[in-house]
Amino acid sequence: MTPAKSLYGRLLVWLSLPLIALGSLLFTQAWRDSRAAADHAFDRLLQAATLSIAEQVQWQDDELWLDLPPAALQMLSGRDQERVFYTLVDDSGRYITGNARLPAYAGSRSPEADTVVYQDVQWLGMTVREGIRPTRLEGWQNRERFTVRVAHTREGRQRLAGDLWWNSLAAILGMGLLSLALLLLAVRAALAPLTRLRHAIRSRHPRSLSPLTLILPGELAELRDVINQLLARMRRVRTNQERFIGDASHQLRTPLAGISARAELALRQDSPEQWHEALSTIQMTSERTGRLATQLLSLTRLDNPEYAPAPERLDLNGHARQALHEHWPAFHQAQVDLGLDSADQPVTVKATPWLLDEALNNLLDNARRYGADRVTVRTLSAPPAIQVEDNGVGIAPAQRRLALRPFHRLYDDPGGSGLGLAIVDSIARHHGARLVLDDSEQGAGLCVTLSFANAAE
Amino acid sequence: MCNAKFCQRRGIRHRVLGRLLALWVLAWSHAAGADEAQTLHLPAADPMSPSRSLAIHAALDMPQATPLIKAFHRHYPQIDVRYRNMSTLELYQGFLRDPQGVDVVISSAMPWQFSLANDGHARALAPKTLDHWPEWAQWRRELVAFTFEPVVMVYHRKLTDVAKPPTNHARLLSLLQEHQDRLRGRVATYDPAESGAGYSYAMEDARLSPRYRELVAALGGVKANLETTTSRMLEGLASGRYWLGYNLLGSYARAFVDRHPQLEYVIPDDYALVVQRLAFIADEAPHPQAAERFMRFLVSRRGQQVIDRDTTLGAVHPAVVDRSAQQRASSHSALRPMELDPQLLAALDRLKRRALLSRWQRAFQQGKASPAIAE
Repeated sequence: MTPAKSLYGRLLVWLSLPLIALGSLLFTQAWRDSRAAADHAFDRLLQAATLSIAEQVQWQDDELWLDLPPAALQMLSGRDQERVFYTLVDDSGRYITGNARLPAYAGSRSPEADTVVYQDVQWLGMTVREGIRPTRLEGWQNRERFTVRVAHTREGRQRLAGDLWWNSLAAILGMGLLSLALLLLAVRAALAPLTRLRHAIRSRHPRSLSPLTLILPGELAELRDVINQLLARMRRVRTNQERFIGDASHQLRTPLAGISARAELALRQDSPEQWHEALSTIQMTSERTGRLATQLLSLTRLDNPEYAPAPERLDLNGHARQALHEHWPAFHQAQVDLGLDSADQPVTVKATPWLLDEALNNLLDNARRYGADRVTVRTLSAPPAIQVEDNGVGIAPAQRRLALRPFHRLYDDPGGSGLGLAIVDSIARHHGARLVLDDSEQGAGLCVTLSFANAAE
Repeated sequence: MCNAKFCQRRGIRHRVLGRLLALWVLAWSHAAGADEAQTLHLPAADPMSPSRSLAIHAALDMPQATPLIKAFHRHYPQIDVRYRNMSTLELYQGFLRDPQGVDVVISSAMPWQFSLANDGHARALAPKTLDHWPEWAQWRRELVAFTFEPVVMVYHRKLTDVAKPPTNHARLLSLLQEHQDRLRGRVATYDPAESGAGYSYAMEDARLSPRYRELVAALGGVKANLETTTSRMLEGLASGRYWLGYNLLGSYARAFVDRHPQLEYVIPDDYALVVQRLAFIADEAPHPQAAERFMRFLVSRRGQQVIDRDTTLGAVHPAVVDRSAQQRASSHSALRPMELDPQLLAALDRLKRRALLSRWQRAFQQGKASPAIAE
């Protein structure tokens, strides 16, 4: 499991990314602050040096005169042994003395008297910090203006800035690590209910479908409720399945018991006519039992949620006609009138052919058995639908829902299985079609409509 | 003085100043014969592959330099060494004229050497080269002070007839004041106006001693002779013309005094200036690797032993000077090496020089004019 795919990892990544971004921002800000602080501290040295030099400037022999105090130069060069430069210029900017010709202040505003201004300049290929003090003589007669410029290289400033930065770096790093640790704890604590839920689900008995009774925070409580709903549905499904299995075994046991009894009876008799009669009864019963088993099989197959038949486009008219053709002999024998009322144009739907045929078979079979003497198969084009209508006794509205349940028999008929409509209903659901039981238009009788109105095209 | 580089660049704006400069700096050299072009060439052992060579320009006399250079060459016979001794001014101007023509520059003109390094003309040595080297004897790993030369007093035995020889500045002052008449014309010292070395000693003296002005006045009182080199003072002392010399460069005086039994050598015990030769590798040195080797040799135990044993320059290496360092600690805790820091730059300031010299001369003339102070 890669970290990005686990919830824990995702939380960590999305919480620590902003933390890291914030941290880098703090780092750069700390670097700027450290530089500014170092410059501030060292600029005071430039200020002191310019003052110390300016105090020694006098007027002598009609020119500016400087008795350079060596200490003024020394104070600019500390532990880092910075290079030192100084220049004295007069009012017009003419060089008086100095070991360098430092440039004038480059700022737009000319600095005020006795205020030191600073600038970074390039001198002899080195970056130096220059302090410039414009001032004037404090004599009685002569108040000549002059400017003292001193500069030194930046080693000391860089070291101080580096030291300051390292200090704040350590603080920021420490804080970052602390918040990361807290983050880990927080994420772990926040995800703890999820772990509890997982443990609760894992430690359940595999066959248990009882609801979860865990106390969980809001978001997870929702999840728990959804799981509980799913479990409830599974319980219902299981109950249905168990009933179905019970019903099915019951249905199969009854004819088998009949066969067994009839065979036993026949064995006690000696007459071949009686044997013959028993055998034909047994044959009829086992035929019916066989059909019942086939129907159970197809119903089970349809009820299997994994079963996904491949639908194809087909014409309802064609299938109706074929079904009519196949059932006509049986209807004829039972003396039931079977007719087709097909739509003018082809009615195309998307369906699985054999399932559609199975549905029609069941509907026609039912109609033949219970539908008096007149049955009509009808196809409709808008919406696409197929109808089987008879003029029998019909089904009372209250019974119509029950009629769809397996093994629910409305008539006491030994030949019926009680599965026919359940199978049709199942097929309809498979196709997303609607099965409607209604009164026949002729008043009496049943009209079953398989409507593909909402079926996915 | 203004930075000579600029004077040059601007075609020597002040001719008078330029000439002054020349006169002044010429005297930085303490060499007996500074005008003789002195060179030493030690060719590589294998002449077929003269791949590595080394050019050293120095203000360091041949007798002192030769043992050092030879020892180095014994150590690295594959390097072709060319040594050239010249005056400090020649050295300084020559370097600025052609900074690519030399690998190692050695001079006792500390302000000039410092100024060159300050302007970025020196190359930093490898960090491990100076690991063991004292902090006070190096600057930015660019400048290395590798000798230890006290500034001393030398007297002729005749002086003992007059008075007890001075052992420090205070005694010297009282001696000059008490025996003004007997010592008239018998005392010699550097002329700070004419000699660069004399000027920088005067500057240091003025900084270290508040009574230096009195001392200058007393020197004026005995009408001291102002000389330009240590050797001229030593010659005067040896001949008996002078009885007392003040502020002589110890490294030359020591050798000379050893050869002349009539002379004595005194390191003042209140404070004694110490001059150090400064060496650096030119930033644009054509053979930086050989130069680095040479510098490493200079500060190595072996090189410093040669300085200690075969020259009178005085070693710096803590292991080599162990014995004498103990002596220093006991009797000469007053040794004051000129500090390797930007204060040295002040010595090169044109106006500073004028200010200091005018004060010095005023004091000297005052002493000349006024009669002895009766004790």
